[in-house]
Amino acid sequence: MTDVQDRVAAPAEKTSVAATLFRFQSVFGLIVVFVAAIIFSPRKNGEILFVSADNLANVVRAVSEIGIIAVGMTFVILIGGIDLSVGAVLGLAAVGSAVLMVENDWGFLPSVVLVLAIGLVFGALQGVATAMIGIQSFIVTLAGLQIARGLARIWSGGQGVAIAYGDGPKEAPTSFALLGERTFGGLVPIPVIIFAVVAIAAVVFLRVSAFSRHLYAVGGNEKAARLSGVPVVRVKIAVFAICGLLASLAGIVHAVQLNQGSPNDGIGYELDAIAAVVIGGTSLAGGRGSVAGTVAGALLLGVLNNILALNNIDSNIQLLIKGLVIVAAAALQRLRPTS
Amino acid sequence: MPDLVRMSAIGKRYGGVQACHEVDFVLGAGEVHALLGENGAGKSTLMKILSGDVTEYAGSIAINGAPVRFGGPTDAQAAGIAMIHQELDLVPGLSVADNIFLGRELRTPVRTVDRRRMEREARELLDRSGVSLDPRRPVGELRVGEQQLVTIAKAISLDARVLIMDEPTSALTSSEVERLFDVIRELRTGGVGIVYISHRMEEIAKVADRATVLRNGKFVTSFDPRELSTAEVVEAMVGRPVQTMFTTPDSDTGDELLRVENLKLKARRPRPGRRDPDGISLTVRAGEIVGLAGLLGAGRTELLETLYGVAPGGSRTGRILLQGKAILPRGPRHALAQGIGFVPEDRRTSGLVLFHSILANTVVSSLPSYGRLGVIARRMERAASTRMADRLRLKFGRLQDEVGTLSGGNQQKVVFGRMLLTEPKLLLLDEPTRGVDVGAKAEIYRLLGELAAQGLGVLLASSELPELVGVCDRVVVLRDGRDVASFSTADSGEGDLLAAAMGHLDVEGVQ
Repeated sequence: MTDVQDRVAAPAEKTSVAATLFRFQSVFGLIVVFVAAIIFSPRKNGEILFVSADNLANVVRAVSEIGIIAVGMTFVILIGGIDLSVGAVLGLAAVGSAVLMVENDWGFLPSVVLVLAIGLVFGALQGVATAMIGIQSFIVTLAGLQIARGLARIWSGGQGVAIAYGDGPKEAPTSFALLGERTFGGLVPIPVIIFAVVAIAAVVFLRVSAFSRHLYAVGGNEKAARLSGVPVVRVKIAVFAICGLLASLAGIVHAVQLNQGSPNDGIGYELDAIAAVVIGGTSLAGGRGSVAGTVAGALLLGVLNNILALNNIDSNIQLLIKGLVIVAAAALQRLRPTS
Repeated sequence: MPDLVRMSAIGKRYGGVQACHEVDFVLGAGEVHALLGENGAGKSTLMKILSGDVTEYAGSIAINGAPVRFGGPTDAQAAGIAMIHQELDLVPGLSVADNIFLGRELRTPVRTVDRRRMEREARELLDRSGVSLDPRRPVGELRVGEQQLVTIAKAISLDARVLIMDEPTSALTSSEVERLFDVIRELRTGGVGIVYISHRMEEIAKVADRATVLRNGKFVTSFDPRELSTAEVVEAMVGRPVQTMFTTPDSDTGDELLRVENLKLKARRPRPGRRDPDGISLTVRAGEIVGLAGLLGAGRTELLETLYGVAPGGSRTGRILLQGKAILPRGPRHALAQGIGFVPEDRRTSGLVLFHSILANTVVSSLPSYGRLGVIARRMERAASTRMADRLRLKFGRLQDEVGTLSGGNQQKVVFGRMLLTEPKLLLLDEPTRGVDVGAKAEIYRLLGELAAQGLGVLLASSELPELVGVCDRVVVLRDGRDVASFSTADSGEGDLLAAAMGHLDVEGVQ
């Protein structure tokens, strides 16, 4: 009798081990790439350059903008949608920050609040177009990309607005500059902390909120979700609003790191964000995936970029390698055991 | 002269189900042969074998005396056999002419599509069928009946010698039916053999030369439809004598829960195959299980969808009263808040997220109640899910297992459990035991009995007559979007339901 039970139980355990492996696919991928980076890292006086505190902080700082965007993108992809407008919204937010603080002499807080609100409303409107009118999110956000980019050009007068800090006219408040500083003994850049807070908040939110159950249900089977009483329209609008909000937050971080807001900021960022989500194991069909995976995916791309740059590998080759990693991640997902 | 089609000792088994057993079927040239039987009697299987859709079978087929064995639908078409399916297989975005010539487009000498000739020939074909339709119109714009006529024109254009029509009139108006009959008579004169599947006795009496009845996959009888009464035909189909007894509903159940008064829905954009309510009145009392019977396309699902607020938009007349209060169901959230739950027909596409956990699928409709301020208390939702699993005797491993790994019956229990966690007063069920094994079926029936005993009202749509008779206190029969009869199951049987659904009994004045 116990014999039979053992035999029945064994395969179930095996599949759950496999399922765990696939669930944390991007974490394992990150570990593999991380170890490879240590091995291939250039050394100076016996020190491994890649793992120096300074370099690691740089790796994370470099992915913080894409990371913040990718967290919002994860929400959208979880409901089976896509948001192509995030790069353009980032540009709009960067321009907005610069123009408000430098040209309009707005204070730090009102500027940031208005810029975040613009991103939120922009996202919500895209949500309305896709949820209530029923246009596919690909089309809606393709249009949104053009519109946000156009607004950014109009608002900035078509060129980058440089940010200088000080108390005088045409100067941004010095409090804004603090966002680009480092903390914890000058080690951890503030953008990294913002990214970390966003990521942790998103992970917790997806774990404990009733809203997240609705979100996964909409992505998993929209019809079933609707018949079960899930407020599908509200969920969709909220998700696009969150994604727009996070894109504009990334735009603020972008502006402070480059000390300017340019209407051309963030071109192509939507594709990097989607890549991070896909490497993170979130299904483009919706209903399956996690923010933790996306964070690992973003870090993986960051480590990869960093180690290739440290070894002075041609940036075009970097693109090739990035492409292959995305394909490999997607191929791994095809092997995922399904019911 | 040999028969046009002779099917001898045809047998077909699907798993444990014997769909056809030793069936003989003969169709002569110039003959209209009606095929009758309940759902699952084997009509479709037999015709799928003849049209080449089913290639594995026992027995033999001869066309004009020559034995044939089709490897697929293309072989059958080459032999002059065409089938008009009940599900219209048209491409909505293409024009009428394009649809008629789909896959065998007429070409110009330089091999481009000869649109003008296709349109001209399509127009001739349609004229022949007595239909005035512009062949350039996209099929998606047409009414369902018009689409049905296009499929018929398409089948005729194949110059078939054998034409199989599966419920060709289900969406036609009476004048369109008359024209279709003219076409059928013309084809018959031209020597075409026609197999006519329908549940409508008056049509069969009008157009068929011979009728064959199947039951449980076996041949029952063959007769001249003008010589037998409908009652005798129904008896042959059900296998028992028909006793016709109408009674008023039981009044020993609880208070009136649901009252529907002359409910009509006129959809803004009518969809193919839908039969929206066209004057339905019924009541469900607390603790009562009321069945909804009717043929395919009678409007059972559409009624439930209207009550749940998920029918397509349109103008609605009539009243829906829940516990005496008029309501206008606006959608699932609204319906659930009022205490109306719905278990949809297809649990895989409309009920479950198959790759999500049993837990997530059970609690999704009742989420806000497991915590505060939108934060879920995991312990509470686990407790609710476990309680429901016990109550439904769900067979499962762990609550976090994917619901898709469960058997069909257990999947259905999860959908039930989800609705019960919302604590409904009225449960709308659409084919709740379809694709469910016998054991789970019995448990679902037991559960329904329990729920009714606790005062829940149930409205159950089903195509399985034994289920309706066995489970329900009362059955309302729908036909063409109207309620045509109401039976107490204490003293009427399957035959009564079937006869009323087929529209042969005069049911004026019956409540």
